[in-house]
Amino acid sequence: MMGKSLSALFKKDCRMMAAGKFFVVALGSLLLYTLFINFGYVKFMDANANIYKVYLYDPVGAFGQVSPLVDKVGSLEELNEALALDIGSGVGVKVLAGQPEVVMYRGAEQADRHRVDYALSLLHSDGEYPPEIVGGNTVEMKLRREITCELLFIEIVAVGFLGIASVLFKEKQMGVIRVHAIMPLPKSLFIFSKIFLYLVADLIFATLMTLFNIGLAGAGSILPGVLLQTAILSLIMALAGFGCVMLFKDFKQFSLAYLVIALFAASPVFLSANTSIKMDWIDCHPFYHVYMGLKNAFFDMPGTGPAYYICAVCAIILLSMLVSAAFRQEMSKEG
Amino acid sequence: MIEVKNLTFSYAKDKQALHGLDFTVGDGEIFGFLGPNGSGKSTTQKILAGILKGHGGMVSLFGQDIRSIRSQEFFQKIGVLFEFPYLYANLSALDNLRYFASFYPKEQLRDVEEVLEELEFKRDFLRKPVSSYSKGMRQRVSMARALLSNPKLLFLDEPTSGLDPTGAVLFRKIIENERQKGTTVFVTTHNMLDADLLCDRVAFICNGNLVALDSPRNLKEQNSKRSIVVDYLYQGQRYKKTLEAADLKSGIPFAYDELISIHSQEPTLEDIFVQYAGRGLS
Repeated sequence: MMGKSLSALFKKDCRMMAAGKFFVVALGSLLLYTLFINFGYVKFMDANANIYKVYLYDPVGAFGQVSPLVDKVGSLEELNEALALDIGSGVGVKVLAGQPEVVMYRGAEQADRHRVDYALSLLHSDGEYPPEIVGGNTVEMKLRREITCELLFIEIVAVGFLGIASVLFKEKQMGVIRVHAIMPLPKSLFIFSKIFLYLVADLIFATLMTLFNIGLAGAGSILPGVLLQTAILSLIMALAGFGCVMLFKDFKQFSLAYLVIALFAASPVFLSANTSIKMDWIDCHPFYHVYMGLKNAFFDMPGTGPAYYICAVCAIILLSMLVSAAFRQEMSKEG
Repeated sequence: MIEVKNLTFSYAKDKQALHGLDFTVGDGEIFGFLGPNGSGKSTTQKILAGILKGHGGMVSLFGQDIRSIRSQEFFQKIGVLFEFPYLYANLSALDNLRYFASFYPKEQLRDVEEVLEELEFKRDFLRKPVSSYSKGMRQRVSMARALLSNPKLLFLDEPTSGLDPTGAVLFRKIIENERQKGTTVFVTTHNMLDADLLCDRVAFICNGNLVALDSPRNLKEQNSKRSIVVDYLYQGQRYKKTLEAADLKSGIPFAYDELISIHSQEPTLEDIFVQYAGRGLS
């Protein structure tokens, strides 16, 4: 009987999602992201792959043979001028007492070591200064993994969250949630069916995103990790969306909450992960850990420990309990 | 079927909705629960239908305390018609009913199309989305949902709301048929005609208190003035006279040429409600 009820709920939810054009939107997003990554982002970023310009002021000629990628300058003023024009990525090297001294006008903290290594390796083209190799990704593959991870995160945080909310708001407005209060079925099945359906949709989306943008060869090893992280994010967002619909009266109120949640979930994460803005408190931001979990999975890095998984499970259990209470309250409201 | 003793309920500490209700509803009885908005009738119905928890006092249904009833078995035995026709607007009548029917054991169910036919639902609309239905058609589909599981106890909230007079007559006939099958019916309504024509007994609730409980006939008799008003013609003039019922024992006690009309002064249920509650139903 429970299986029959769940199957009926599942079929109905699929129809509601189809009627709300959820599948069309998800397919459109997948297509758009894939086209953007393959024909826009990767090509554009690849054209600018030679990103760190190295300027060398070596008046005594301490470094005779240097890489052709190094731009030699004739004076300190010229070096300063070049760096002033190339604030974001330029690296200056001045050799005054026989020892190279690195000069940078601006840079992200995490990227400095990277730039210094790059500049010094160009000066020692004989292999005396071998740069540390991190990972086996080509520039293009690194870019693909980064942007696929970011877009997948956005898709689940924003679109998935809105998707479940739009279907539930329709049911709430039609009053049918209250009818389920007098149906002979465990009420948690109503919640479970929806969360499960959105989880499956997100997992399919993540699989296709990974396959289309990382490629079959690269996706094979990372897919289990990506799907695990996607499942954690999807469950959290779907439960949060469900809870918000139960708490808020109409879509207008929900839209405001959505803005706050989307900003809370996404902004600090992207600012911290992709820009030079430094936020000491980012470690306290729960979505930063979820995002880093997903990013580590895309780069096949063992970055997520058991504490993260324990917290994620606790968060999902807590959200489930809150959603269940809000759902029961909604069912007993006045007609 | 239903036994309620000292039923209390509060939405908040200082917001008591029910103040110790006592009543019983027998098997196969049609029981009317009447009261103005905010009087506590929906709260009572929700407690009886197992939707609202946390009440005080004792509520027993099917011979069992509602707190100890296993909810799935209980919900299989009841049917509920809400005040508003809550249906999936993007699905058809058939899809809605098949969806809700899927939660009940197959052997308990009536044929969906047969129920809709009994409710005189237009066949052309069976497969059209509910969003294209009139309010009366939606009410018919909602009633079909409440009936299709052959419930032993039926809760009806404003059953004839949104129906034209023909539809209202049909619904009353269907409710009467259900009673004849042995179903107990608990009707919550503002509609005094429904209550008068349908109910074996009615209870008046006001501000969370029961102010009267009896059959519509007894209530009217107890509160009747026992007088009649006679309109008649005598010697070309029209007259109106009020008589006590006892005055009629030996016929019309005055001279007349022609009787135009005789009106009993029996009060309506609404008059009686106002008398007990000190306020109207709206």
